[in-house]
Amino acid sequence: MSLILQVFLAFVRIGAMVFGGAYAAIPIVEQEVVDVQGWMTYAEFMDLLALDEVTPGPILINSATFVGMKVAGIPGAIAATLGCILVPMVVALTLFFIFRRYKDTPLVQSVMTSLKCMAVALIASTLLKLGLAAIVPEAPSVDVGYSIYVCAVIVAAFYLMHVRRVSPLPVMLCCGALNLLIFGLLGL
Amino acid sequence: MDDTNQKRSGLLSKLVALFVATFTVSCTANSGYAILAVMKDDFVKKRKWLTEEEMADYIAIVQSSPGPMAVTSSTIIGYHVAGMPGTLAAVFGVILPPFLVMVVVTLFYEAIVGNPYVSLFLRGMQMGVVAMLIDVIIGLFRNATDKGWVYPLVIMALSFVYVRFSGFSIAWLVVACIVAGVAKALLVKRSEERQ
Repeated sequence: MSLILQVFLAFVRIGAMVFGGAYAAIPIVEQEVVDVQGWMTYAEFMDLLALDEVTPGPILINSATFVGMKVAGIPGAIAATLGCILVPMVVALTLFFIFRRYKDTPLVQSVMTSLKCMAVALIASTLLKLGLAAIVPEAPSVDVGYSIYVCAVIVAAFYLMHVRRVSPLPVMLCCGALNLLIFGLLGL
Repeated sequence: MDDTNQKRSGLLSKLVALFVATFTVSCTANSGYAILAVMKDDFVKKRKWLTEEEMADYIAIVQSSPGPMAVTSSTIIGYHVAGMPGTLAAVFGVILPPFLVMVVVTLFYEAIVGNPYVSLFLRGMQMGVVAMLIDVIIGLFRNATDKGWVYPLVIMALSFVYVRFSGFSIAWLVVACIVAGVAKALLVKRSEERQ
C-alpha cells in the first residue's frame, strides 16, 4: 500500500512540474524515477523512451503506466496515471475560470515566455544526454566507425523530419528497421 | 418530465461523443501538438462545439498549465461542452488508450527487451528520437524568441546550467522562471510609466 502511495505521490510531483509539452516531461520523469527513487536504470529509461514513441497517447501517461506497472503492477499503473493528471487538471480548470479576465496582461505573457525558455533548456539537456548515449554507447571506449554510422542516421532522420516534413513516427520506425537490417539480418 | 429526460439524454450523448472523440484522438496521435490539431479539426470544424476564437484561447490556457497538453485540453474542452461530467469523460477517453497499451507492453517487457532483434530495433529508433528532439527544440526556440532575443537566451542559458550541473529539483527552476517572468513584466511596466 505504501509503495502504491509512493508511486502516486511521485507522479503527482512529476505532473505538477511538466511545463512546455511532452518532451519537457522526459528529464523530469528521468530525475524522479532514475535518480530520486531508483526504480529504473538509465538503460531501462532509454528503452522506455523508444517505447513511448511507438505507443499511442501522451508520453507522460505512457511513462507513468510503464513505471507504475514495473514498480507495483496494475494498481501501481493506475496510481501513477491518476497521479500525473491530478495537478494538470486542477490547474487547467482554475486557469480556465480566471482566464478571460487576465489573458492579455503582460504579466501572464512574460511568465509564459520564461517557462518556454526553460522548456528549451530542459529538452537541450535531454538531447545532449540521449545523443551521447546513442553515439558513444560503450563510453569511454569509442568505436569510430559505429559513431559515424549513428551520426549519419541522425542527420538523415533530421533531414526527413525537419526539411521534408515527414511525420516523426514513420521516420523513427525506419531508423529501427535500418539498424535491425544492418546488424541483425546482415550481421555486419 | 419529458424535458428533463431530453436534457439527460442530451448530456449523455454529449458525454459519449466526448469520450469517443478523445479516445480516437489519443489512439491516433501521440504528440501534444498533433492531438491539439486533431481536436481542433474534430471539435471546431466538424462538431462545432467551440468557435475558432474559443479554441485559440483554450490552446493558450493549455500551454500555461503543467502536464500533457492532451490531458489539459480535454479537461477544458470537456468542461466547455458538458461541465464537470464532460471533463471526466474527455480525460478518461484520452488516458485509456496509452494506459491499456502500456500495461500490455510492460507485461511482455522482459521478453520484448531481452530479444536481441527488438533491442537492435529500439536502438535504431533512439537515433530517430535524437533527430526528433533536435526538430522539437528548433520549433520551441523560434517560438520563445519571436519577441526578442536577450531575455530568452539568458533564461535558456541559466536553466541549462542549472539542469546539467546543479542536481537540484526542476521544481525550483519552474518557480525561479515564474519569478523572473513576473519581475521582467514589472520592470517593463515601470519603464513604460516613466516615459
